[in-house]
Amino acid sequence: MLYGYNGRTLVVDLTRQRSYWQTLEPHVLRSYIGGTGLGAYLLYENCPPGIDPFDPRNPLIFVTSPLVGSRLTTSSKFAVLTKSPLTGFIGDSLSSSFMATELKKTGADALIIKGRSEFPCLLSIDDGEVDFLAADDLMGLTTLDTERAVKTRLGHRTRVACIGPAGENLVRFASITNDGGRQAARTGPGAVMGSKNLKAIAVRGTKSVAAFDRDALNTIGDDLTQRSLGPATEKYRTLGTMANVAVFNSLGTLPTRNFQQSTFDGAEGVSAEQFHQSNFVKNAHCANCTIGCEKILVTSDNGKKAKGRMEYESAFALGPLVGVADGNTVIRASTLCDELGMDTISVGATISWAMECFERGVLTDEDTGGIDLRFGSGDELLECIRLISERRGIGDLLADGSLRASRTVGRGSEAWAMQVKGLEMPGYEPRSLKTMALGLAVSTRGACHNRSSAYEADFSARVNRLEVDEQRGRITAEGEDFSAVLDSLIWCKFLRKAFHDLYEESAEIYSHITGWDVSAAELRLAGERINNLKKAFNIREGWTIDDDTLPQRVFDEALPTGVVKGVGLSREDLDSMIQGYYRARGWDEDGAIPIEKLQELELEEVVLNNREALQPALGD
Amino acid sequence: MCCTAGIFVELFGTARIASGRKRLRIDAPQQATVGELVAVLADVCPSLVGIALQDDLSGLLESYTLNLNGMEFVESDELTLRDGDTLLLFSSMAGG
Repeated sequence: MLYGYNGRTLVVDLTRQRSYWQTLEPHVLRSYIGGTGLGAYLLYENCPPGIDPFDPRNPLIFVTSPLVGSRLTTSSKFAVLTKSPLTGFIGDSLSSSFMATELKKTGADALIIKGRSEFPCLLSIDDGEVDFLAADDLMGLTTLDTERAVKTRLGHRTRVACIGPAGENLVRFASITNDGGRQAARTGPGAVMGSKNLKAIAVRGTKSVAAFDRDALNTIGDDLTQRSLGPATEKYRTLGTMANVAVFNSLGTLPTRNFQQSTFDGAEGVSAEQFHQSNFVKNAHCANCTIGCEKILVTSDNGKKAKGRMEYESAFALGPLVGVADGNTVIRASTLCDELGMDTISVGATISWAMECFERGVLTDEDTGGIDLRFGSGDELLECIRLISERRGIGDLLADGSLRASRTVGRGSEAWAMQVKGLEMPGYEPRSLKTMALGLAVSTRGACHNRSSAYEADFSARVNRLEVDEQRGRITAEGEDFSAVLDSLIWCKFLRKAFHDLYEESAEIYSHITGWDVSAAELRLAGERINNLKKAFNIREGWTIDDDTLPQRVFDEALPTGVVKGVGLSREDLDSMIQGYYRARGWDEDGAIPIEKLQELELEEVVLNNREALQPALGD
Repeated sequence: MCCTAGIFVELFGTARIASGRKRLRIDAPQQATVGELVAVLADVCPSLVGIALQDDLSGLLESYTLNLNGMEFVESDELTLRDGDTLLLFSSMAGG
């Protein structure tokens, strides 16, 4: 008997309007666990090599985890994987709450959506029964209105994942929204959903999955819940991730005005401390979460009222990065992105690129349709967000992301498109956070802080954050493997400091759930396996060593302000860290994965099925 | 006083909210342990106790950290302070 899993994938073909089940073998589940790990395996198996991300054959994959359905805190999470329309490489995002538990209750561990519907579609999955419903009445609606309309139509117990206008219009950084505003946003899965003519997925289920030893699991779970209420999560419970704004500003790590500087004179206006005083409404939780990191804010001025969640990344990208110091504008911008269904980081970073182009005369009034698109222009920021979601005017250019937009515009603007592999950079200045610089450069999904959490070393006494050294490669690789285990089981990252030893405790929990005798070493190896499979996917899709880099600005310009004034990062220093990372991974100096490493990780059968596509980037 | 340094302490997060103070000026030993700094901070700003400082003043709460002049994360038992230095007191949990 299989515990902790359903052991099945539900495959939906939108083109032929049919669905079927596929078995997930226990050795696959144990090797890739769930979440982004199992998702990477399913993407590798189901995505034909070399296709365009908007090709109907590109699968859109939702994956639950062995923890989903348990009482464990923060366990109601799922992953979304597809070939990213923004990067052309692996796209993986995480989201949370009731959608995860409901999806697993349909009897599936994963949902694979292929093909393209001939009509705007509402996909209904009721205990595994699939219906292809017309969604004409939903088209054009915001994410929140779509969810409300689907619930009205199919019942309020229904859980909904949907796209907004941005996804319909194939904005390359469109998100998929569930449970009233949770977002799978990074790398643009909502655009792939839109390309499939799929407006929403409605899920209901009644099936349950047994744990092997529920009593033991609950005992550990109760202890973990207590720890989740302690100092390890204090920041998240009190002010939320927004607390980074003021601290990062003082440390010179707050990207400002399109990474032209790393301190912002107006930081206090968009800080957690200020929001708490002027805009805070309440804390909110995902399903099954005892931390409650979500901060619900409301505007406090006389303008149009906006109310929604605020995170550090949204506050940074729609505040300092675009030079906006007015907290109410940032709340409006973030709420607007959520309603229209877009990744706030990519929105802010792409608009900040456009603002710099405008101020340098590379974009003109004629290009912007008369919008005075300068740093600090709040109303213009909001207008630009709307135009992007509609792909109208300047928005059509920006809807393709900063890399593509800069290649279209040219005139040197590629140097200040702040992205890696096409994914816009998060709110961590790489010149003053050297370990993070490496993490951003080598991440398989592009400029991502979450798949390595490499910043942790920089914000400690373990390293000198302003200098480079050999150990950064090992630190980053270990951080990636740690994150891969977190994101596959799936634990919330904000819980990670509550573990005494993530691997040991997770192995015990995973064993109680599945009945398998899983060790910490096995989990650690799974993390390494998952990261190598993600890299193999990228190699298959055309990755070269030139893709592991940072934007030209980082090498050309030293930071001009704050305690880090004069600090830069040379290409040579980054390259030396990258070589250290490849060595730590056991890869060749050109970043290829040797056959021996594939064998060691039991990946050769999966990867070498596509050996022809992998050459010549795969090592001998 | 030849053995003390006049320094500033910037407060962030709940430390700032609970104390209602953004910046403190304190006189601290030039060669100070974290415990000695905590004692001075508790004296100048008692509302930090239980928020950022241990109730028994033995150190910082696990969730808080100190950074010297925005550059050096303080993890050693003793640090050297000079007039005009600034200590940042904030939640040690990065991420988000």
